[in-house]
Amino acid sequence: MSKKQVVVIDYGMGNLWSVASAIRFLGAEALITTDTKEISAAKFLILPGVGSFRRAMEIIRQKSIDQAILQSLSQTDVKLLGICLGMQLLGSASSEDGNTQGLGLVPNEVHKFTNTADTRLKIPHVGFSEVKHDANTKLFSGIPSESCFYFVHSYFMALTPTIKGIATCHHGTEFVAAFEQGQVSGTQFHPEKSQSMGLNLLKNFLES
Amino acid sequence: MLSRNFRLQKVGDIDWLEKNYGFSNVGFSIDELIVLDVSRNPRNREEFSEVLKTLTNDCFAPIAAGGGINSVADATKLLRSGADKIVVNSALHSNKQLISELAQEFGRQCIVASVDCKQIEDNFYIATNNGSNLTALTLTNFLEQCSNLAIGEICINSIDRDGTGNGFQIELLDCLPELFEIPVIICGGVGNFSHLAEGLKDARVDAVATANLLNFMGDGLGSARSQLVSLGIDLPIFNLH
Repeated sequence: MSKKQVVVIDYGMGNLWSVASAIRFLGAEALITTDTKEISAAKFLILPGVGSFRRAMEIIRQKSIDQAILQSLSQTDVKLLGICLGMQLLGSASSEDGNTQGLGLVPNEVHKFTNTADTRLKIPHVGFSEVKHDANTKLFSGIPSESCFYFVHSYFMALTPTIKGIATCHHGTEFVAAFEQGQVSGTQFHPEKSQSMGLNLLKNFLES
Repeated sequence: MLSRNFRLQKVGDIDWLEKNYGFSNVGFSIDELIVLDVSRNPRNREEFSEVLKTLTNDCFAPIAAGGGINSVADATKLLRSGADKIVVNSALHSNKQLISELAQEFGRQCIVASVDCKQIEDNFYIATNNGSNLTALTLTNFLEQCSNLAIGEICINSIDRDGTGNGFQIELLDCLPELFEIPVIICGGVGNFSHLAEGLKDARVDAVATANLLNFMGDGLGSARSQLVSLGIDLPIFNLH
């Protein structure tokens, strides 16, 4: 059997190197590409990224990567995983720098953490934090609830409206740590930087 | 490696590091890894990037790297060699424009500010260029200005304690403003796990860093971590198979 091929979407933002190296470690092939033909032909798609939501969406639309993702997802056996900013981009909009529309694959919005004298919140939220899940998702198969994953972000995806296969994390407020809704899934944390737990999750994605 | 009040100490080359560390294993004892090029001669970026690549291969933990970052190109090179975050030190003071450019390019969460502090009477002063250049800027003043800097974390190191194994200089934390939003890493002086515990129990600290337990203490990190967990300190457990 030939190796599974994972397309890692390159829109010029974020550390694709470490995502690709985790995929290769798990025995699959990683193709880092910006080519819409390769994206629309993918079986496994990863949308990584760190940085500005607005800038990311500008590039994604300009390069027609949004269309390529939708085209790929029209095949029902195709799976998409958004990581960090990549997960947020799957949401409907972000309040960063005004308001920017996302890919809208889930209806949730993205907001900035706010620091008050009461919450004394550190921003960005950085480090390993517990992730709670009770749903029977493929992503978290064999991974106990309250396992720790590595986060680094200043914006978060809101829990409402309720979407499927939610895992949550707490940093001043509860937010979406991960979700799995049919073909589309996302993690706010970086599985490629979360040691064995993260590798297990990526392995689950490849086997989904 | 910088050690014993910032005198340079050689512990070994990359082969030695690989043989003695096995980062893919040590990975389970740490949350994150910081790799610094502390060369005193003109730095060889090509060589450091290759070392970083070898070091971080199959290490699936967050990695911050730095040492003499002078341009976006320097940072890009490290980020393409396995780093997730860039550590900046001297440029925080000599090249503020670079900090904005780095933040614009990679996001502020990608930038770890590192400050080396030296105590003179009752004040802590910041030193740059591997600690060789003592500035007139106090840590207190620097931290007050930090909200204007696009940085994601700050690592506060004590030159006086670094490499001594006598414990953190906790007084450094008294320089922090009341509402400080940026995550704080304290560094310099760890000799055993109880020093790490002292740092982690302080509400002003978000993370503790040590080189000593990693470089000189056999399974220093692994045993320190399990002792911290047995003290009830909330650390992630990684070794699920």
